[in-house]
Amino acid sequence: MPVEETIKTSQHFVEKEPYYEAINDEVDVFSAAYNNHLPILLKGPTGCGKTRFIEYMAWKLQRPMVTVACHDDLTASDLIGRYLVKGGQTVWVDGPLTDAVRNGSICYLDEVVEARKDTSVVIHPLCDDRRILPIEKLGELMQAPPEFCLAISYNPGYQSVLKDLKQSTRQRFVAIEFTYPDSDTELKIILQESQVDKKLGEKIVKFGRMTRNLKGSGLDEGASTRLLVNAGKLIQDGIKPVVATDTAIAHALTDDPDMLQAVHELSRSIF
Amino acid sequence: MIDNSKQNFLNRVRVQKDLEGASGESAVNLTNIDTLVSEIAELTPEDQQFLFEQCRSLSETNDELLKSFVTQAPKAFSLMASKGVQQWVDNAITMYDNKGLGSAVEIIEQVEQYAEEYSNRGIRCDFDEASTFIRNFVTGLGGRELKLAVDSESFTDTESLYLPDSFDLFPVADKNFSLYKLTATHLWAQTWYGTWRSKVVEKILKTSDTNQRLAKFNRLECIRLEAQIERDLPGLYRQFRAMDSEETEGKKIWDDWKSRAARLQRPGAKALDSLELVDEFAEDIVLPPLQPYQGEMHVNRVYEILSERIEREKEEFQSALQDLIDDENSLTEGTEDASKKIELELIEDEDGGAGDTKFQMSLDGEIINIPEHLQDLLGSIMQDLGEIPEDYMEPNENGEYSDKLTEQTETDENDVASDGEDGEIFRYDEWDCTRQRFRQRFCSLRELSIPLAESEFVDETLIKYKGILKSIKRTFEAILGENRLQRRQLDGDGIDLDAVIDSFADLVSGNETSEYLYTRYRNKERNIAVMFMIDMSGSTLGWVNDAERESLVLLCEALELLGDRYAIYGFSGRTNKRCEVYKIKEFGQKYSDEVKQRISGIRPKAYTRMGVAIRHLGHLLNQTQARTKLLITLSDGRPEDYGGYKGKYGIEDTRHALLEIKQAGIHPFCITIDNEAQDYLPYMYGKVNYAVIDEVPKLPYKVADIYRRLTT
Repeated sequence: MPVEETIKTSQHFVEKEPYYEAINDEVDVFSAAYNNHLPILLKGPTGCGKTRFIEYMAWKLQRPMVTVACHDDLTASDLIGRYLVKGGQTVWVDGPLTDAVRNGSICYLDEVVEARKDTSVVIHPLCDDRRILPIEKLGELMQAPPEFCLAISYNPGYQSVLKDLKQSTRQRFVAIEFTYPDSDTELKIILQESQVDKKLGEKIVKFGRMTRNLKGSGLDEGASTRLLVNAGKLIQDGIKPVVATDTAIAHALTDDPDMLQAVHELSRSIF
Repeated sequence: MIDNSKQNFLNRVRVQKDLEGASGESAVNLTNIDTLVSEIAELTPEDQQFLFEQCRSLSETNDELLKSFVTQAPKAFSLMASKGVQQWVDNAITMYDNKGLGSAVEIIEQVEQYAEEYSNRGIRCDFDEASTFIRNFVTGLGGRELKLAVDSESFTDTESLYLPDSFDLFPVADKNFSLYKLTATHLWAQTWYGTWRSKVVEKILKTSDTNQRLAKFNRLECIRLEAQIERDLPGLYRQFRAMDSEETEGKKIWDDWKSRAARLQRPGAKALDSLELVDEFAEDIVLPPLQPYQGEMHVNRVYEILSERIEREKEEFQSALQDLIDDENSLTEGTEDASKKIELELIEDEDGGAGDTKFQMSLDGEIINIPEHLQDLLGSIMQDLGEIPEDYMEPNENGEYSDKLTEQTETDENDVASDGEDGEIFRYDEWDCTRQRFRQRFCSLRELSIPLAESEFVDETLIKYKGILKSIKRTFEAILGENRLQRRQLDGDGIDLDAVIDSFADLVSGNETSEYLYTRYRNKERNIAVMFMIDMSGSTLGWVNDAERESLVLLCEALELLGDRYAIYGFSGRTNKRCEVYKIKEFGQKYSDEVKQRISGIRPKAYTRMGVAIRHLGHLLNQTQARTKLLITLSDGRPEDYGGYKGKYGIEDTRHALLEIKQAGIHPFCITIDNEAQDYLPYMYGKVNYAVIDEVPKLPYKVADIYRRLTT
């Protein structure tokens, strides 16, 4: 399929309102933090809507949004930028963070604990009242405009002790905690996102709750709302419910044959 | 003809001789030995060999058992193949280990019965096969955690599901497995849909002809639960239907009952409704036959568990409420307000499954989050009572929910008790080399805590080994340095683009260029979990014990620096009934003062039963996630315990335990101060996986050094 269009990261506006179902007062808290130039930490298990929430806020605040999925080789210069060689000359190219600061965007560092420790060097001065980004290679200090906002996400559930968020980092942020929505909200989300009918939606929600009962007794995590939505989409497209929950949920959760069998049978008992 | 009978005679002589060789005098003295010998002589040579092997291993176990085996053996071979015979003997030996000679001989003598069971086994589903699945499945369905146990009948006491030890009702194994699942589900449904609400139980117990009424109540509940399951778990409902028997007479009675008890099938029907209906069925003498998955009811067992739990959970509930208030008070310091009141509001009452009911909790009008354990508690109380009674929410005359002071002293006493006798008991198999098989669930092991001692010992050690500690720390720091990606190297595996571009920029602007343009990777990340297993046997008394403790202190200091995950456990014990491991530091626990005090508190205890400790600690180690897992034993001698656990037996069991954990991906290693260790350690741990330290005082810094070598 041909690429429809490419845009520069700094111009990535969220144009259509993303579907987001507020669980608590997170929308107000985010807006208030944004108005007061405070950085934001989103905590919560995978697939409970952290990224969707940021998209929604970017749309609501009408700011461009830059997302960086952090990985264990991500260094400070990957965020800030580096010199590249072009036609015998060296040219400075902004990294996504610098780019976001320059344009007053919302910069979202997803799973920030995965990144290398030296990234804190650039995050720290940006996150206190100085709001500056030191660009060592250029010998510059960049003052962030009021529109700029830094948000990071962090899953306290399954990271190893080696990858905990340091106090000196986390104590710079306004922290918003995310959990799985309650059954009614979750049903609403599934109906909206996957377009299944209400009766089926209720069954999917019930199934999700059953897998969460197994958390700690064999599963590391229960099915996230995202997985439930995925299963709903498959069912809506004509896949048999038990096959859909097996592929979209059970196998995504675990490789353990005993657990797979249990989750499969739970699905069979509902659908 | 003569040749033939001569051959037979020679055969018999040979068999008798072999039998005597394998089983000693005792078998040959049997009264009917001649008949037996001629029967054995007719077996195939393979079967004969096999029989003699069994005799050899049984002669190590018990003479009586051996005799009855020899008597029954020819019959056994006529009924089963050698694999079946093997299992029959294994079964008898396990029974001998667990229940004594009488039960074991019984198994041997009932060989026909065993053979029949054995031939059914292909289609049979055993409890052990199904239990893991059922546990997961029932947990997934929801509600309070239910234990599984074996019993001759299927029923529940609301805390455990009792299931038969096997099902062989259907000629297909899968269907027998399904039957297990559905039986468990039916019992689960009783706990989930309120069959055993306390009101119901009390009412049943008050009636005069309890048993008769209970039988009818059971049938009516089957009708009600079936309807609930049809609504909530339609997939399961279909599986239930597929399992129903085809028998028409029974079906007719069921249909009759169902039509008369139609109101039980409506949403919102309660167990109390079933109980009321029992009177309407007073005249019925013929009851509908229970389906195979519909268990029995034992109301007295339920009552015992229920009344104990209701009381306990009320206390727990109120103490949890008090915790909430205490937390709140500690936030608003100084203004301790005794009149704080918690209110609970029901937001959503789901049909049937009361454990799913949702609550909103408010403290002085402000909505608060319900902590997870309180949520579980609420669920469990709802399952028993169907409501949270008002007096649960009423503070006592002091305005408090729970009197912490008295409770605290009580738990203190409990703690002392649990240090002594109580606590969870883990059972492990032990390898018996003389019989070449496991003694099943032979060892009982408890996890105990070490009493805290003064932590001065730690400080003293740190001062005593100041110099060594410094050098240990330096070498360990070097390990850490090695693990990063090293940029700007003179040579290496990759090109450091940043360095190249920098030097290019330098070149363009006419500056001096650098030669350090490469990157080099070392081991990317330390992903190590290590378990230290400390010998606390009586023989370590004195300086060995001191050296062990000092080693641990230095090691902890070093490991904190590295960030490796580590745990420390001591082990000792006396006989297979009292194996003990002592928690010193668990994985995930910080190297806190408490840990230091425990290290100081390590004292010599009893004997060294190593196998069971290795199995237990290996199991614990396996539950942590790490790429590299190490089990390091600090020991002063060979495995030894009361009751024959010495010499070859002890070494073989330890070796077997080590092989088991190796298969699970754990690297065992042993550090010992026993100068004779060369004789047995290579056999147990392998040629390279041990270190002998010839002088006790060297232990402390050697241990750290060995650990460094092991993990770099």
